[in-house]
Amino acid sequence: MSFYTIDSLTFSYNRNTSLLENISFEIDNNQHIGLTGDNGCGKTTLIKLMLGILKPQKGAILIEGQNVKDMPLSHIGRKIGYVFQNPEKQLFCPTVWEQMSFSFKYGNEGNRHIMEDRINHYLDLFELKKYKNDSPMKLSWGEKQRLALASVLSRNVKFLIMDEPTIGLDMLRKKQLQKCLQALKDEGKGYMIVSHEPDFLERYVDKLLILTSKGVEVR
Amino acid sequence: MMNLDPRTRIIIVFIVSSAAIILKEVKSLMLLLAFTLVICILSSVPLKKATMRLRKLWYVFIVLAIIQSIFTQGGDALLTLGSIRLLTTKGLEAGISIILRMSIIIYSALIIIIASPLDMVYGLAAMKMPQEIGFMVLLAIKFLPLIRDEFIDSITAVQLAGADLKKIPLGKKISLYTYILTPSVTKALRRARYISLSMECRGFRAYPTRTYYCKLKLKKFDYTIMAATIASIIAIILISW
Repeated sequence: MSFYTIDSLTFSYNRNTSLLENISFEIDNNQHIGLTGDNGCGKTTLIKLMLGILKPQKGAILIEGQNVKDMPLSHIGRKIGYVFQNPEKQLFCPTVWEQMSFSFKYGNEGNRHIMEDRINHYLDLFELKKYKNDSPMKLSWGEKQRLALASVLSRNVKFLIMDEPTIGLDMLRKKQLQKCLQALKDEGKGYMIVSHEPDFLERYVDKLLILTSKGVEVR
Repeated sequence: MMNLDPRTRIIIVFIVSSAAIILKEVKSLMLLLAFTLVICILSSVPLKKATMRLRKLWYVFIVLAIIQSIFTQGGDALLTLGSIRLLTTKGLEAGISIILRMSIIIYSALIIIIASPLDMVYGLAAMKMPQEIGFMVLLAIKFLPLIRDEFIDSITAVQLAGADLKKIPLGKKISLYTYILTPSVTKALRRARYISLSMECRGFRAYPTRTYYCKLKLKKFDYTIMAATIASIIAIILISW
């Protein structure tokens, strides 16, 4: 059984025009997918539908055979990690450490020992340890992006969705992100990356989905 | 449908909502609500859509009405529990009045809400209100949906981080909502600072006086509507007397 099944998905924000029409594809849980397309073609909307944030007008989205519309967001969040396009939207805790430990405290991600090890590992990796008692709001855009990534990567999720994760990252941090992607591949975890960088996608994905007005083209 | 001048809208809303507070009788409040709905229809307020969107607010009003009904005593008893008078005719009247009063205020506010925010600034400026206050009103109107969106985004982020809001104990839930509210307010304040900076960069308050692209002019129709509003309110007050 596929991890994600998107079956005849149709969605529109208004009655006159539909943004996504009759889209179908499948993703296995250890697959590495790239999603690309023109600006405004509905990439972020598709991701929001896949996460259950938006509800489709027609069709169904299944995660391990279960319909997304029947699952609470917190259950989806425990299976799938999501890095928002705008990192500020997912940073809501008063300090960097609390942001990193939030899922462990409220989402039952694991015991305290595992939590501290994992958080310290990712804070080190993304060079954020010196800010651990600072407010995430005080960080620069690139640092916020790294913190958003680190907080999602530190969690034990089955699949990751990253919406343009390379925006705001310098060359060094892009390489660190690439290392993390490689580590995810080695752990046998799947991910989906939305990006406009063909070189980046070419190197780190097995399948490329190109979203057009006619539907999804698979390469 | 009629295209009212923003000043006419402000005056109608001021008169109608003041009357809603002054009037006490259920009959006169019902007449005032009927008059407000007519004005709403004439001003192209999408009444059905607005009523549906405000449905959660109606539940609050109903709860308020029930509380008001129970705690207002006097008149004949309608419902008793032993020797306790649970509902009286006066209480029922008070409950209905509060629903009618709130409905009048909400529907009359829609007359302003459907107008373009910039038109309202022009209207306030034409009523000799300082332009700074006019723009503050405009920004406040624009900020309400932004703060709501920020809050919804934070709630989504919290849930996607694995927190089940329904199962979290009350103590933890309160601290969680503090987590969510703080960044929403911080982000809103920061955005307000950027907007003020951007306005100043475009010359806002650079000169003591300013010109306006649109010149508002009250038409005969506006005067007619204002006169009709005043006449109707006086008639309703006289009927209830």
